[in-house]
Amino acid sequence: MQVKIGVFLCDCGESLKNIDFSRIREDLQRLEDIAFVDISHNLCLEEGEKAMTSRILVENINRVVIGACSPDLCEHIFTRLLEGLRLNPHLLSLANIREQCSWAHEGDVTGKALELIRMAISKARLLQPIEREVVPVSKQVLVVGGGFCGMRSALELSRLGIRTTIVESELTLGGKMEQFEGSYGIETSPQAILNLMSNTIEEDENIEVLTSAEITSVEGQAGNFPVKIRRGGEQVSQSFGAIIFATGHTTKTLPRDFEPELGRNAISQRKLVEMLQAPEELERRPGTIGFVLDVSDENSRLPILSTLNNALAVKERLGSEVYVFCKSLKVDSEGMEKLYREAREQGVVFLKFEEKPQISKEDGRLKVEARDLLLGEEVALLCDFLVAEEKVLPCEGTEALGSMLNMRTDSQGFYQDENVHLYPVASERKGMFFVGGCKGDLDFARTSMDISSATVSIYELLSSGKVIVEVEKVKVEPDKCQACLTCIRICPHSAIQLVRVDTEKEVAKIYDLACDGCGICAAICPAKAIRFEGYADEQILAEIEAIGESL
Amino acid sequence: MNNSVLVIGGGIAGIASALELANCKHDVYLIEREAAIGGHAASYCCKATDVCTKCSVCLVPQKLKEVKTHSKISTLTNSVVSKVSGKAGNFQVEVWQKPQYILPQRCIACGMCFDICPTQPKAIYPPSPEAVPYSYVIDESQCLRLKDEECNLCEGICPTDAINFERKPERQELSVGTIIVATGFDVFDAREIGPLGYGRFPNVVTGLDLEKTFSYEGSLKLPSNGKEPHNIAFIQCVGSRSESHCYCSQVCCKYAMRFARLIKHQNPDCQATIFYIDLQTAGKGFAEFYEECKEAIRFIRGVPVEISETSLGELEVRFENILQGKVGRESFDLVVLSVGMAPRRDSWDLARILGINLSDDGFFDTKEPSNPIETNVDGVFLAGACQVPKDIPDSIAHGTSAAERAMEALERCK
Repeated sequence: MQVKIGVFLCDCGESLKNIDFSRIREDLQRLEDIAFVDISHNLCLEEGEKAMTSRILVENINRVVIGACSPDLCEHIFTRLLEGLRLNPHLLSLANIREQCSWAHEGDVTGKALELIRMAISKARLLQPIEREVVPVSKQVLVVGGGFCGMRSALELSRLGIRTTIVESELTLGGKMEQFEGSYGIETSPQAILNLMSNTIEEDENIEVLTSAEITSVEGQAGNFPVKIRRGGEQVSQSFGAIIFATGHTTKTLPRDFEPELGRNAISQRKLVEMLQAPEELERRPGTIGFVLDVSDENSRLPILSTLNNALAVKERLGSEVYVFCKSLKVDSEGMEKLYREAREQGVVFLKFEEKPQISKEDGRLKVEARDLLLGEEVALLCDFLVAEEKVLPCEGTEALGSMLNMRTDSQGFYQDENVHLYPVASERKGMFFVGGCKGDLDFARTSMDISSATVSIYELLSSGKVIVEVEKVKVEPDKCQACLTCIRICPHSAIQLVRVDTEKEVAKIYDLACDGCGICAAICPAKAIRFEGYADEQILAEIEAIGESL
Repeated sequence: MNNSVLVIGGGIAGIASALELANCKHDVYLIEREAAIGGHAASYCCKATDVCTKCSVCLVPQKLKEVKTHSKISTLTNSVVSKVSGKAGNFQVEVWQKPQYILPQRCIACGMCFDICPTQPKAIYPPSPEAVPYSYVIDESQCLRLKDEECNLCEGICPTDAINFERKPERQELSVGTIIVATGFDVFDAREIGPLGYGRFPNVVTGLDLEKTFSYEGSLKLPSNGKEPHNIAFIQCVGSRSESHCYCSQVCCKYAMRFARLIKHQNPDCQATIFYIDLQTAGKGFAEFYEECKEAIRFIRGVPVEISETSLGELEVRFENILQGKVGRESFDLVVLSVGMAPRRDSWDLARILGINLSDDGFFDTKEPSNPIETNVDGVFLAGACQVPKDIPDSIAHGTSAAERAMEALERCK
């Protein structure tokens, strides 16, 4: 089709006085393919849009070039206008002649404005439309992990009318919930919450539960992930529209950080909770209980939370002396400062150290030696019980699953490194969401925010049963592709796969729905086989060549 | 039964809620008290050195742009909610909008009004660079016309007839199904702690001042003489973890360390010291960031109690040096107070209008401690730092999850 370009220039209410618009018009009209050059005072206002609309319709142009203010302010207006006229919005090319030209310089800038517009025109000649397509998506969601987060996610999705399948590797639902006994105060019983949730799930028609099952492969892209699930000896395949990973975290006392092995005096938080739940079974009331924090992990909020809750419970139920050895108190979650103050009021003593404390055995008790910063002195304390710090760790299998999904883990082995653009739950792969402990230690409020955020993102993606995607915005030219796999390896979104075109040849193919449009593949392809529409080599070169042509 | 949602407050949390709801096909009214949406976070600066330090500030303009172009979101700026009646599924809301002397949808930001304005400083000026809507603003205390003097220059020159001083406050009635409260916070006023000298000594500044300085200037100079600072102290927990503000503001350790890194990056000869009580190093990647900071920044445990000015114009900081067990005195040329977040002074007004509770600290209270979103009023939800202090990512997460609760409530009302 013959390229026919309409140029609209805006003098911003005649305020761009250092640009001679009539001279620009004169020059542009001499160029090829130009149907007209219009000068408006207010393209972004209603009257400007109206004039533009009628002009486009009358002249029947197929490329629009606009010289106006920053695209940041006006691009959406023109995109919407073109869409309304059933013109492909990608056939639009903008030149910023206000912020980057008129306002940026003193004196006459007609020459620069002209160059910017000519660049936009050169690019416009080569623009290709990007079509949109409606892609059907599966409304079934897979939840990997049947612990607290997995169950909550399924329940919340169900309340929004979305069906889920929970895949849990253990025999029953619940995950490591019993491990968190005591973390949130001994009054909160994870077991009771678990029972309540499993009952609700059992009655929920929207939730299917597969226990003793695990996923063995995930293919495809958002809206349609064919997943293989192994259960018992058999393998089933099913397609899911989205996947929530809620594989959780675990806590462990690391021997290298805590010298006396867990035993009679050195106990875990969980053992302490058991003691607190049945104080009458103790031989005698312990006189002194110590807690040690910040020796293996300065990254987590969970150890300090369980320490504060349990220290208060010790005070209430056993009346023992309680000492907490720590480096920095992590109180940056809701209510933690109050909990800390309450503990101090109840007589819990906090000793802050800079160097890791020494622990040894003495007279059947444990001796903790540390230099307390407030006192400025060495402190030695004999404890009847010493509660060990528990490090928050990724669950077993986190890494294996991660590499199967092509999903990076952070330095601690949790899912996702810190990408601010993926907050809170999105991942580099569209349609895959990570919630709760598998991303690292989270407190209860943050976990529940995570779950709701994942739920609403999935609802947004799947609820209508279809997604509109731009087709071939980035595409591989099969003739040029050497199937070297460079793009497949580099794509952070796993949006590229090798497909067979005939018996001889395989080529890379980009899946539009999974593609994020980052352009890394187009830049790296050694054969220059990948074209990123709007930023293709010939389009950028045409823009550069237009510089200096005029005047 | 009404399917639309009212979001009160156009800060980052409110925006996150509004976008999520709008993307799920709900009509959203976004009410903002100020002339532009974006809230506090829109005025913050990027804190990248040669690498990104993950401050998340860049998410704000991106989200603002999405709001601007979203057809399901109606933004009402310069507006406040004055009355709410009804119940979940069907709320009636009265909104008052201040007189729109400059119509945002007509203003093309050409700047002709600014050029012609006769007052000094100008009574009409451009908004901040990221403002949405990008429309000029009138300073009512400066404008001659609004002080009943004869002046019609801007109205006369405006090429798009955007300016009209005859406009009156407008009242609107909205019907919505649920309400999300995202009114944010007030920055703690460091003047409340007199001995620290904020407001008295020009070289005592707050974290917020630093945000603005870096946003507009890109680098830091001493406010007193415009020279480069050589020795900077950061004081943590100003307005946090005290008797009157019994909570951790959650953002100050992070921004102080990021600023200290940024200043050291721009000027490697500059010394930076952070005085702290406890460092909040939890959170993804932050313990590692702290390890990196330790190499370049001096950390002193102990929060200064007093700052005085020496005859040389330096600031003498008196603090308890816990490590040495004695009172220390040290001079700095700039002191940054890491101010925390306080509840909004007008929280009580909105709490009364909506019938929701305030917590002991003055933030909006939730129904139960384990649930950070639902309030005691069915159909009214909280998002962002109006509940407890939050950083940008947590506010976005909170806003998104409030949107989910609001949608769920609408489903239930059907």
